[in-house]
Amino acid sequence: MARVRLVNVTKTYGHTVAVDNVSADIQQGEFITLLGPSGCGKTTTLRMVAGLIDLTDGEIWFDDRMVNNVPTHRRHIGLAFQSHALFPHMSVAKNIAFGLSVKGVDKKQIKNRVEEMLDMIELTAYADRMPAQLSGGQQQRVALARMLATDPQVLLFDEPLSALDRNLRDTLKYSILELQRRTKKTAIYVTHDQSEAFAISDRIFVMNLGRIEQAGTQLDIYLRPASEFVAHFVGDNNTLNGTVMSIDGVSGETRTATVKTSIAMLTAFAPPDIRAGDEVLALARPENIDILPNGAGAEGPDVLTGIVDQIVFEGPTVRLVVDVNGTPIKVTSSGHERLELLHKESMRVNLRLQDVTLVKQVEG
Amino acid sequence: MSAIAAQSTRREGFRFRRRWIGDVVAHGYIWFWLALFALPFVATTIHSLELPDGGYGFDAYRFAWGSFRGDLMTSFKVTGLTIVINLLLSVPAAYAFVRYTFPGKRALLSILNLSLYTPAAVMGLSLLITYAFLFHIPRSVTGLVAAYVVGSYPLMLIPIIVALRDLPTVYEEAAKTLGANRLQSLIRIELPLLGPGISAGVLLTFVIIFNEFLVTLFIAGPNTQTAALRVYGLTRTGFLPTTAALAAIMQFVSFLVVLSFFKFFGSRYLKGTYLI
Repeated sequence: MARVRLVNVTKTYGHTVAVDNVSADIQQGEFITLLGPSGCGKTTTLRMVAGLIDLTDGEIWFDDRMVNNVPTHRRHIGLAFQSHALFPHMSVAKNIAFGLSVKGVDKKQIKNRVEEMLDMIELTAYADRMPAQLSGGQQQRVALARMLATDPQVLLFDEPLSALDRNLRDTLKYSILELQRRTKKTAIYVTHDQSEAFAISDRIFVMNLGRIEQAGTQLDIYLRPASEFVAHFVGDNNTLNGTVMSIDGVSGETRTATVKTSIAMLTAFAPPDIRAGDEVLALARPENIDILPNGAGAEGPDVLTGIVDQIVFEGPTVRLVVDVNGTPIKVTSSGHERLELLHKESMRVNLRLQDVTLVKQVEG
Repeated sequence: MSAIAAQSTRREGFRFRRRWIGDVVAHGYIWFWLALFALPFVATTIHSLELPDGGYGFDAYRFAWGSFRGDLMTSFKVTGLTIVINLLLSVPAAYAFVRYTFPGKRALLSILNLSLYTPAAVMGLSLLITYAFLFHIPRSVTGLVAAYVVGSYPLMLIPIIVALRDLPTVYEEAAKTLGANRLQSLIRIELPLLGPGISAGVLLTFVIIFNEFLVTLFIAGPNTQTAALRVYGLTRTGFLPTTAALAAIMQFVSFLVVLSFFKFFGSRYLKGTYLI
């Protein structure tokens, strides 16, 4: 178990900057996720923590030890690969035993530990199988057992579930979370799948173009995106251009602003860097927009009136596009009332926007 | 009705016969060439079974085993030594070629392969000159093995390079993250996974060196007699059944080695080599 710190970590390949001045302080026992599109530098960052790639600049610390020059095999880490990377010429038991046996652990102890691990992943009956004889999910479970067998101080995950089908992914991501909670190990998890990130992380680091765009809890990232990139990458925000008319609240969560957009005046949460007169983007999530029944509350603030343009039934949710004075607004409805919305194209509805947040417009 | 049916049966019969003839011609063609290629080997084997009294038996083999055993053992010894030295040279070299980048890599690889394209007589003569003037080791087992290594290490190097290129680096990385140092990872992960490639190299080296005769003719000393050299020597004084027996034994050994390789590893790792 260790606290992991990245201090101004940078990696360049020739003139290409893969990771640009990334800093992070990950507490002992914390589960953090590096979330971002492919090519954003998240995997490179993880591999530098693992010691598989050298840093161009910066420092990586495990507790009070700088590990920049510590080779991978002495870092006491566990890494789960996207392609599970089980040794194809070794049985399941031999794979799990590998880390202990290269450390010269006593044979009897290895045997006990392997049995314990097999029991944990519920594959005791498969000890003598070869990796190729297992299903994808079983292979990834064996890979997890192999990585935990040596009791590493930091757990690293490089998109371990992306090669699996959806149901398996859901089951396994909770297994991973459960294992991490039980062992209380520091974990860094790389993924491009936001629902995975939301489900298992204590904190999420959203990365783009080699930088950390925003670091925060799930709710921070979800409700208070700090940049346009985060707002668009995480979830599916409605974006409205606007101008801040006045700042109303005092500070923190009560600091609100009145924003004039092309279709309405809106009340929105205002981050500290927003001032009156700023050009901003007002962000409203489709699932945080209420459809008001029978035109009720049409007079209230933050209520828009529009005409239903498109309805898509997706089972648990219904997605609508509502035309508000020529601006399409995406709305997702998931309550029981969604069933009453079907086949109501061209209906006039009132929408109440909630949890609207603002980010500054980037000039140019 | 019945007329039409009869006609269609006839037409089908014709089609069947035409296909049957095609099959016979195709098979005949293949068997003809096969027979032509196998003929020398079959002739040698039959000749080796002839007895002085006109009958057939295994006497020649019994005699050959007694008389040529030493030569065969020398062949196995020099081939084995060559394989070991080739392995020690080629595994690190292949690793450097595949896993690292350095200037002039492609050019160097081409130069290293040159010995494959050098005529054996030229190679033998050059080596003899080099040895005689520089190292003073001509006409000894050491000189012979050194000559074989110079001529045959690309046969080991190339299959290992191919196998290593096919081997994803993720296994080495996984071994590292599990605490294995370089050597542990090499012995327990990379070498076993490179097994087929290494075996292909061993096979090629064996087949070439075990049967090598021209370079041997130049380099081998008066006290070093390999089986291939002995066969050559004997044919100059007439072709006896015992000579044919020795030749047949050498053929069998080579066949056996190649066939068992195919049985264990298939043809994948021999692609691009002269065997396929």
